[in-house]
Amino acid sequence: MNSPDHGDRASGSTTNANIPEGDEPLDPAAMLDLLQVQQRSVTTQMGSFVGVITATWGVAWLVGFLLLWLIDGARPGFALPLPIAAWGFGILIAIAIVISIVLGVRNSRGVKSSPASVFTGAVYGSTWSVSMIALYVFGAGLLVNGMPPSVASIYFPSAFVLMTGVLFMVSGAIWHAIPALVSGIWLVVVAVVAPFFQYPNHYLFLALAGGGAFIALAIGSEIYARRVRRSARSGARDHG
Amino acid sequence: MADLDPVIHAQARLRITAALATLESGESISFPRLQEILDMTAGNLSTHLSKLEAASYVLVTKTHQGKTPVTYLELTRSGRRAFEDYTESLRALLGEVS
Repeated sequence: MNSPDHGDRASGSTTNANIPEGDEPLDPAAMLDLLQVQQRSVTTQMGSFVGVITATWGVAWLVGFLLLWLIDGARPGFALPLPIAAWGFGILIAIAIVISIVLGVRNSRGVKSSPASVFTGAVYGSTWSVSMIALYVFGAGLLVNGMPPSVASIYFPSAFVLMTGVLFMVSGAIWHAIPALVSGIWLVVVAVVAPFFQYPNHYLFLALAGGGAFIALAIGSEIYARRVRRSARSGARDHG
Repeated sequence: MADLDPVIHAQARLRITAALATLESGESISFPRLQEILDMTAGNLSTHLSKLEAASYVLVTKTHQGKTPVTYLELTRSGRRAFEDYTESLRALLGEVS
């Protein structure tokens, strides 16, 4: 293979400049270990953007729902004007969407998908937009039929969080991702429990149980990813 | 040890094969991205890739993105099978029943 940037830098090996680095086998146990560590390292590197996206959504939900809670939640001491809270929430969600798209695209650089996985990705991606718009239109339909604003403030956040949870579970099924499955189930629970806290405290619950859980998940996955990356590198070198 | 495929049974080539095996069949990865993921030098990576290519374990596709040449790599069907066989032989040698 003539790579365009082929240079004989293989002599970086300290053992023997004539043998390419890494040509020596190890004992079977160490080779099996190397194999498993390497595969885990690839998976976490390919998925490293997920941690950042999760953290972004965690902050957006935590701060966004706290803003909504502050409309009436901290009375009589403090009341945030509704337009500020609503705009703040909207802007935070928009920023999170943009960051997710940018990181998702950047992470897929250098990987050419098979037609089958392109199809899966496109269908899954559009399921997000279709279902979120559908929930919004459905809510508008309920409003037209006399749903009072107090009920709407319960319906909309819970509906969107519920759908997010379901879509997480679906992604867990498609890509065999246990963390996505677990957080999906958690979000479904959070979405249906929230209404029982009643307005405005359901916003506080969504902020802490939804946003807080995302932030905890992001920190956990970052710690795990760092550990795997380190052990893959040192594993490859120590055995050399 | 006679059972272990000598093409894969070298640290660097095992790492390359294991990394490529995480892709779905039909998926391929560019040379620079693979190099980044494996943290290997370009020279070392291409030395080992040519051995894997010579054994028909790796398919090398050269295309262009605009004017820049890009090399994409993926396991061939026999490469994937060889990797699975290799993993099984390792486990058998270690007394793990597969």
